[in-house]
Amino acid sequence: MEINGVSTFKGRPILAGKMDGEALVSRKGFNTYASFSTSMLTKAKVAICSDRRNEELHGKELTGKVLCIPKTIGSTSSGAVWERIVQMGIAPKAVLFSQQIDSLAAGGLIIADVWTKIRIIAIDRLGHEFLDLVQDGDRIDIEWDGTVHITKYNR
Amino acid sequence: MTSFENLKLKLTEGEQSILDGQQGQTMQRVLKTLVLYGEALGAERLVELNGDGHFVIAWATPGIAPSFKMLDELIDAGLKTKLPFTLDPSAPLDFENWRLRPEQERLLEEMYRDQGRYDEKILQLGLRDRDAYSCNPFDPEVGNLPEKGSILAWSESACAIYANSVLGARTNINGAIIDLLSYIAGKTPLAGLLMDEGRQADSLVEITTEELPLPQLLGTVIGMKVLDGVPYITGLDRFLGKGLSDGTKDYLREMGAACATYSAVGLFHVENITPEAVEQGSDLLLPDYTRFQIDDKAIRKLEGTFSDGWPDRDAKPEKCFIGCPHLSLRQLNWWSEKILKRLESQNKNRLAVETILCAAPGVIEKYRSDRMTYEGMLDVGVRFSTSCAETLYEGEVCTGDAIITNSSKLKAYSTARFFPDEELVGILVDGVIPGGD
Repeated sequence: MEINGVSTFKGRPILAGKMDGEALVSRKGFNTYASFSTSMLTKAKVAICSDRRNEELHGKELTGKVLCIPKTIGSTSSGAVWERIVQMGIAPKAVLFSQQIDSLAAGGLIIADVWTKIRIIAIDRLGHEFLDLVQDGDRIDIEWDGTVHITKYNR
Repeated sequence: MTSFENLKLKLTEGEQSILDGQQGQTMQRVLKTLVLYGEALGAERLVELNGDGHFVIAWATPGIAPSFKMLDELIDAGLKTKLPFTLDPSAPLDFENWRLRPEQERLLEEMYRDQGRYDEKILQLGLRDRDAYSCNPFDPEVGNLPEKGSILAWSESACAIYANSVLGARTNINGAIIDLLSYIAGKTPLAGLLMDEGRQADSLVEITTEELPLPQLLGTVIGMKVLDGVPYITGLDRFLGKGLSDGTKDYLREMGAACATYSAVGLFHVENITPEAVEQGSDLLLPDYTRFQIDDKAIRKLEGTFSDGWPDRDAKPEKCFIGCPHLSLRQLNWWSEKILKRLESQNKNRLAVETILCAAPGVIEKYRSDRMTYEGMLDVGVRFSTSCAETLYEGEVCTGDAIITNSSKLKAYSTARFFPDEELVGILVDGVIPGGD
């Protein structure tokens, strides 16, 4: 595929790392429990978004993606989701927040990192322009310092 | 960030020694989690907790409960919370009072097959006692009532918003497991709602209704309008009076639970009523606050949208859940009086709809001491439960059942239909929804 342009954004690394992957985008708040609940309960090998209220993501595969969201929403009881999906091997590779990370996501992602030693890279404060630009299928490259490159291809 | 070399959060010598492993690998992990969490929240340091905990991790379900591996590691390391804690209502396994279909019971038993083992581990880690399960821990019968200014690390949003707003305690809205780890360390990040500046109001919400709105409807509208931040609410003292009577506390508890369900709001101030608003008045408002107005039209509009929910709109109501959040003793008595009087006025001796009232174990025990009322309610078909209808319906095991409720919180997590209190009493007695729909 032919590259159609690269855009770069700088965020704050909450859980730093270097990787590349495919973007999956929700422009509305990401309800962590609602999105992963069916996959957790059915012990699925791959997580499919089960949040019916999220029209952008419902039915799409979440595992191994770079999740691009404003922030997470939902019940505080869902703080254990990230740890669980990491243990199951069905987590996204990274979560990129356009806003400051919310306390629910921060706690959940950090617990998963510290207690399983498997990292989901998390970068926040990427700005609303980031979320305006990024689209499903874009290639995302993440640097250790929180720099994020979006590569778009002609489709 | 995880190298701890460039932390903005300042560590004490004691904290540094724990991070260096001086108190073992598990305590090191506990504190590492909290330090990274504090750094993400922009905290300048950790601060000691000085009020009991209230946690959201009551149910042994994937994604909500800590894993057994983590619990075992904490227990094996001899760790326990520095202060006792209470929990949200017990798991939705109250089959005796809920009378579910056999297939529903089987699914729930499967979902919660580890609950007994989990409950024992949580008790070992510092749960106050075996009855310390409720989403209304504030009643004297439960007795988790933090003092004004207490530093907490609570997680249940419906409880945290009340502790912050009505009691004047200070907690951020933490997620599951962060609550437990904070109380094991005895510390929480000094950030957000723990700071004076985090408690300033960034919106003014003017209530201009002709009558006092139902608390859960008003809380829902406030949450939907404000979405985040700290609202300063005016106009409620016209109906509730000044200060905090028991009735006002119940009102604000229900309003706050609904507000927290539909938003990220963790603190509100009510002019002339809540403690910080009484002390500081409109000085709590930040200079560039946003203004919202809520009138009767806004409340009616919301109520109109709340009547949907059942797949079969012509179905007869099969069950009613009241007590989400858990009822206080005063509220239990209110429902008892309303139900019994309505039946008497219609010469009936049995409710037409199965009705379950939910409250904390200690509250129900106290209520039972009025034997005449309690037995009178049992005789007309009311049952009492210490568990949680929201958890039952959140798990989708009972999705689509023809449930009615007065709870906008339960409504948010289920297909239940919402009705105001007085209207609900009529439906329970007649078995018919007004308007024929």
